[in-house]
Amino acid sequence: MLRLVPSLLSRLGLLLAVALLIVWSLGPVYWSFVTSITPPLDLFGDTSFWPKHPTLQHYAKLFGATSLSQGNAVQSVWPQFSAALVNSIVTAAGATLVTVVVAAAGAYAFVRMKFPGRDICFYLVVATLAIPAYTVMIPLYRLMISLRLIDTYVGIVLIYVSAFLPLALWLMRSVYQAMPISLEEAAWLDGAGRVYTLVFIVLPLAAPGLIASAILTFLNAWGQFMVPLVFSPTLATKPLTVLLPEFVTRNYVDYGLMNAAGIFAIVPPVLIVLFLNRYLVSGLMAGATK
Amino acid sequence: MALAAVFVLPILVIMGGLVFYPLAVSTVDSFYRVDPMRPDTPFVGFANYARLVTDSTVQASWFNTLAYVVFAVVLETLGGLGAALLLDRIRHGRRWLLAITVLPWCLPPVVNAIVWMWIFNPSYGLLNKVLLGLGLIAQNKVWFNDQATALFLVSLVHVWRMMPLTAVILLAALQSIPGELYEAAKLDGAGPVKSFRLVTLPLIAGGLAIALSQSTVFAFNLFDEAWILAGSSIDTRSVIIQVYLTAFQSMRLSSGMALSILAMIGSLAVSLVYVLKVYRETRYD
Amino acid sequence: MKRRLFLAAAMVMPLALSLSGAAQAADNLSVLLPPWGTLPKDMTDKFAAERGVALDAQTLGWDDILTKIVTSSVAGTAPADATELDWSWIGRFGAAKWYVPLEDKIDPKIIADIPTASIFQYDGHLIGVTYSNDFRVLIYNKAHLAKANVAAAPKTPDELIATAKAVKAAKIAEFPIGLPLSATEGTSTAWYLLTKVFGGDLFDKDFKPLFIDPNSPGYKALNFEITALKDGLIDPAATGLKDVDVQELFKAGKITFDVAGWAGNMALYSDASKSQVANDVAAALMPSTIGKARTLGLPEAVGIPVKAANPKAAAAFIAWLLKPENEIVLYDQLGDMPARLSVLKQLNDSGKLKDGNVLLAQAALVEPLFTQGAPSWYPDFSTAVATIINQAAKDQISVDKAVTAIAKAAADAQAN
Repeated sequence: MLRLVPSLLSRLGLLLAVALLIVWSLGPVYWSFVTSITPPLDLFGDTSFWPKHPTLQHYAKLFGATSLSQGNAVQSVWPQFSAALVNSIVTAAGATLVTVVVAAAGAYAFVRMKFPGRDICFYLVVATLAIPAYTVMIPLYRLMISLRLIDTYVGIVLIYVSAFLPLALWLMRSVYQAMPISLEEAAWLDGAGRVYTLVFIVLPLAAPGLIASAILTFLNAWGQFMVPLVFSPTLATKPLTVLLPEFVTRNYVDYGLMNAAGIFAIVPPVLIVLFLNRYLVSGLMAGATK
Repeated sequence: MALAAVFVLPILVIMGGLVFYPLAVSTVDSFYRVDPMRPDTPFVGFANYARLVTDSTVQASWFNTLAYVVFAVVLETLGGLGAALLLDRIRHGRRWLLAITVLPWCLPPVVNAIVWMWIFNPSYGLLNKVLLGLGLIAQNKVWFNDQATALFLVSLVHVWRMMPLTAVILLAALQSIPGELYEAAKLDGAGPVKSFRLVTLPLIAGGLAIALSQSTVFAFNLFDEAWILAGSSIDTRSVIIQVYLTAFQSMRLSSGMALSILAMIGSLAVSLVYVLKVYRETRYD
Repeated sequence: MKRRLFLAAAMVMPLALSLSGAAQAADNLSVLLPPWGTLPKDMTDKFAAERGVALDAQTLGWDDILTKIVTSSVAGTAPADATELDWSWIGRFGAAKWYVPLEDKIDPKIIADIPTASIFQYDGHLIGVTYSNDFRVLIYNKAHLAKANVAAAPKTPDELIATAKAVKAAKIAEFPIGLPLSATEGTSTAWYLLTKVFGGDLFDKDFKPLFIDPNSPGYKALNFEITALKDGLIDPAATGLKDVDVQELFKAGKITFDVAGWAGNMALYSDASKSQVANDVAAALMPSTIGKARTLGLPEAVGIPVKAANPKAAAAFIAWLLKPENEIVLYDQLGDMPARLSVLKQLNDSGKLKDGNVLLAQAALVEPLFTQGAPSWYPDFSTAVATIINQAAKDQISVDKAVTAIAKAAADAQAN
């Protein structure tokens, strides 16, 4: 009976910590949601934790019901919004895929292979993390113009990769470094080639690192603003982050619409994290090491 | 050797072409007077840099950025570590908790800043409402009228958004610690605190260094939060806002480039300090 | 191994080339405008049909459009064939020679119909044509005034204060005067406007500051703002409010006066689906200490970058935009005040302009902020003004110190 008390206490502490984390993360998101279902005229009235007159009008605006107000046709924003949503998904997913593949291979070379300038090379690449976007923007713009990559998925993805590769590379390098080399040596003795060893022996073991890199890259690319602002002039590649500020029109800040769009924008990344994070668990690894 | 070249070549091409080349161009430009409003671009040596050092507005922006870095790095690391340890311990519903933890990152930055603007709003904001309700303040406060509070609140918005990255990095590091090590430590009679210090900390040192560095770098690059919450206010103006104002509003490009290069050097230097420190203190032979 | 390398290279190259080629077809026109220039689809379709030009309309948020234009212009390319041109950019973009002269491309009779055209002159050339004619007018809540037993809108700054005090005393609005005091551009323009209200200007013809003397209009204007704040006539929270936030407060009926009101906003304020004061809103001429209701024009124009790929179609687009029927659609759908005086009159005659007579009378009295044209150092100066007024409003510095600091900022900006 007495032994139960500390474990009960620790369980309680755990629950409290979970609750705290949930409130901290969800609180402002919840508030954004409340704003998104509050009628515009109520926004500057008395705020309350629960919306008094919940309305779906902002979502209706988003999903293409062209409404009439005072004889003015309110333009539907859905075509723009859906195009931008697709662009966000394509560019973020493309950047994630390329980054993870390049980082997985590159970091392996940086850890397990020897070549001149290896460490210098690695440190230089990681150091580029510190470069502010504004520093390189104008020369980069000139370069992208001459390569005719402005407003193309390829251009945006390449820039994202160059921006988020250092972090992924560093993470993958530390994952490989922590791995015992004995497994690989055993595989080589069995006659497996280096590429085979990397793909079928090392990568499965490095799954949590790969998934963490993928999540980081995807989220970073999803939230990017500065790069697409300059390099995605039209809806051909313009992502949500650049589209949303346009809802702040000069004489009308459409808070409700912005928040509705924001709430909707968190769905794809959350789905991806939910799906991916199954692999972020050590259980998978345990089977392989035995 | 050839295989290594194949593996590394994409990195060299992408980073060389899209980062190092433009960086070199900007660095060279920062020693000239590049100003589209003036006819030619004479070489000026360190004149751009010299002017930045003496400018009191620039100094104020450095102070603010350093405050952001301190707040952000401390809060993100402690919070992120806490969240990662929690996620590592949880058995049921971990995927949901992780998804909830990364949510703040998914809200587009503009929406994020606007949500917080609502919360901090002096007249209708949630913060005043809650604090009034709890009896902690007697009347509505205008939060951004006081510099220390303003800096802290801008940092808080930044931390809210960036903490998930730290948590994910540290969680990945925690996941790679073999469970046997903890059991061995337990057998040796180590309590939770001791086994955290002796087992967990050294083994996540690599991840910690990465997390600390990325927190630093992102905090050095803070722009959106301060810009949307307080505009060009001198109390909250960050170095990167100053870069934006100099290069894009005033169109003194080379001066802006020089400042952004100083910001880069600053964030590298700070990161280096604790990357080295983390590696040295946790090295165990 | 070599084959692998070759393959990797071979895969990337054509991908890069094929996806990039789709850009410019024969007669394409790209237009870059802020959200209030998002042309309705019917309009762009009509333009495409009339001129046989495919219109590619691009929209960017206000802070971002400048970044975009500067980046691409510095890189030696055109941001689009026709772009937004704010009045405050003229000095900089003119000096950088980024935009082509338009006086020989647009019918002079139309230009003569646009009173704000002079604001877009640089070095004797017209480099932009107004499409949105923003000027300031006093907007007030007449129901508040009626409840406070005030018969007419204030005609002088003193009357404005007296009315505000009456409204506050009658507990109709806690903070009757709406003025932004955050460190944003709207704060600077409000002070420039009030300087005109007190009958003066910011600078003499040599750009020497005129606002340091405590008896000068500029000084009085700043003092007016700070005193009203301290007397509780302006919300202390205004130090965090942008101009659009002040407008939200007005729409919610929380404030009595939108002092630096945008003429185009009358359409919005009187729209019951967007405003709670639709029946109570009214416009009045700006108050004045000298009898003449001076006001500021802060118009926006369209210009053609020097490097534009299709300048001919761009010129045709601008001419088309200025057609009366199109200007009226822009007002109806986007709230952009028509640039042409004749169109403004036409709107008023058709009864579409709320308080149209006041707006027309005020429109005739619009002045530019700088008669010499916006100087290239304007943004440095204006950012400093917003920052310093914000500090004064937060009680970190006195009005005396603030005007001295603004004068120093002006000198620094001009020296750079």
